[in-house]
Amino acid sequence: MRLRNFLAIPVLVLTTGIAIAAPRISIWDGVYTDAQAERGHTLYMQSCSRCHGANLSGTFETPPLTGRFMPYWSGSTLDALFDYVSTAMPLDRPGALGAGANADILAFLLKSNEIPAGSKELSAGNLKSINFDSAKPARARK
Amino acid sequence: MDRRHLLKASLAGLVGLPAQAQVPRVPLMDRPFNLAPIRAHTDRIYDIKCCIRPFRTKGPRLDVEQIGDTMVIHNYGHSGAGWSLSWGSADMQVQKAMSRSPKKIAVIGCGIIGLTSALMAQRAGAQVTIYTKEQFSRTRSVRANGSWTPASHMALASEAPPNLGDTWERMTRISWKNLRQYIGMAGNPLAFADHYYLSDTPFDAALPPPPPSPVPVPEYYELGDRIGDITPTLQMLTPDLHPFPVPYARRTTRLFFNFSEYGHLLISDFYAAGGRMVMREFHSPGELAHLPEKVIINCPGYAAHDWWKDTSMVPHRGQTEWLIPQPEVNYGLTYRNVEALSKSDGVMMIDIGARNGLPKGYGSSNEVPDRAEAERAVKVMEELYSRFPAKPV
Repeated sequence: MRLRNFLAIPVLVLTTGIAIAAPRISIWDGVYTDAQAERGHTLYMQSCSRCHGANLSGTFETPPLTGRFMPYWSGSTLDALFDYVSTAMPLDRPGALGAGANADILAFLLKSNEIPAGSKELSAGNLKSINFDSAKPARARK
Repeated sequence: MDRRHLLKASLAGLVGLPAQAQVPRVPLMDRPFNLAPIRAHTDRIYDIKCCIRPFRTKGPRLDVEQIGDTMVIHNYGHSGAGWSLSWGSADMQVQKAMSRSPKKIAVIGCGIIGLTSALMAQRAGAQVTIYTKEQFSRTRSVRANGSWTPASHMALASEAPPNLGDTWERMTRISWKNLRQYIGMAGNPLAFADHYYLSDTPFDAALPPPPPSPVPVPEYYELGDRIGDITPTLQMLTPDLHPFPVPYARRTTRLFFNFSEYGHLLISDFYAAGGRMVMREFHSPGELAHLPEKVIINCPGYAAHDWWKDTSMVPHRGQTEWLIPQPEVNYGLTYRNVEALSKSDGVMMIDIGARNGLPKGYGSSNEVPDRAEAERAVKVMEELYSRFPAKPV
């Protein structure tokens, strides 16, 4: 919790140089659709499952994409994960997938980690304003 | 000269070996004896490990960078020499860190460079926290060869900094001195073993032309002969002196790391000195400024390619296959581009590729173990040992 508080905002200010006034949302606010996650699932099986496994559990050497995935990425904003997936993955041909495909894969990763879907697709454009929270923030609870 | 020796010597003459007189006689004290055969069979493969060497075209990154109020001292990009150079590199970088008189130091990464950096910082008097996304046994370091190979591809000749040779020699010599304390310890965290180079053709015979390379073949920085005083020389062995069924053999002695014992020792030392390990992944360099420690030694290995966006990092794939341990085998060998070495946790084999052309695995970041490659390597050794004499020399 402390980590999230002191990381999320300052990093944004550091990397952009200005404070962003856009309303912040959370990955828990329904930031992707089920259909998008389904497309992401297909792409995942084609490009990611060879190393990370069909059930995302990883291997001894390859990191899992569930479980510790949440604490490892929480505290950042979703653009950090998107940037990593876009530039470093797939490991043997980094950057081979386009922005749309990577956004779909991100949607699948979120769904696989039981982050709820919504009615709007995830796109590469607004990821900086989406907080990667490890749990649903109190303000979003109804 | 016994009958067997005579027979071998005459056979050697028939196949055109150099005259015996040209090869210095190996003194009795140096003659190999009791070399147990390696049980090289594919069903004895019990593990295949694959990793990416952190080759950096500009040489190891050792500069200091300021991020906000945080001093980041880089320590990565040691190519295939991380195990060998770790202590020397750590010593140099910890000296830089201590210039700020920090009470606390953070180390990023827990491969062999991170772990030795942490230990060096503790020995310099700092309280150390390692931040890592993987425990030591899951790092790329432990998927490497783990032999004393300090000169393994330090930089491209065209991009190396002018003082790289001096820096490398300093790292090498300090590492060598530091490793000294682990030799002879229980469990052999470090051990020496004779290594035989075996060949069907003379060692100076021209190599067959390499296959065409899809990318320019790297021209590596030449380190020159700087550490001859701590490097055993090669001895030529005539066929009467060794049991291997090949006409050409030479031998040296090499130092290697036993991962289990050495790793356990370093991690135990780290905790015994009050070290703290935090499992965590960083996503951008800016995050380091938010750590409580304001002096940080950055040891991400190949991960610097992605999280530090270091475009001078070039992946260089390597794979080792592990056969069930044979403690009775106390040597290593290289034959037909396959290397074998008996370690405490298994007989390691590697297809090292041809000596010319594009180095095997250069430019590849494919880290998925290749079973077929493993079996090919083991079969080279299986064929060799199928011709091993019933009564070794």
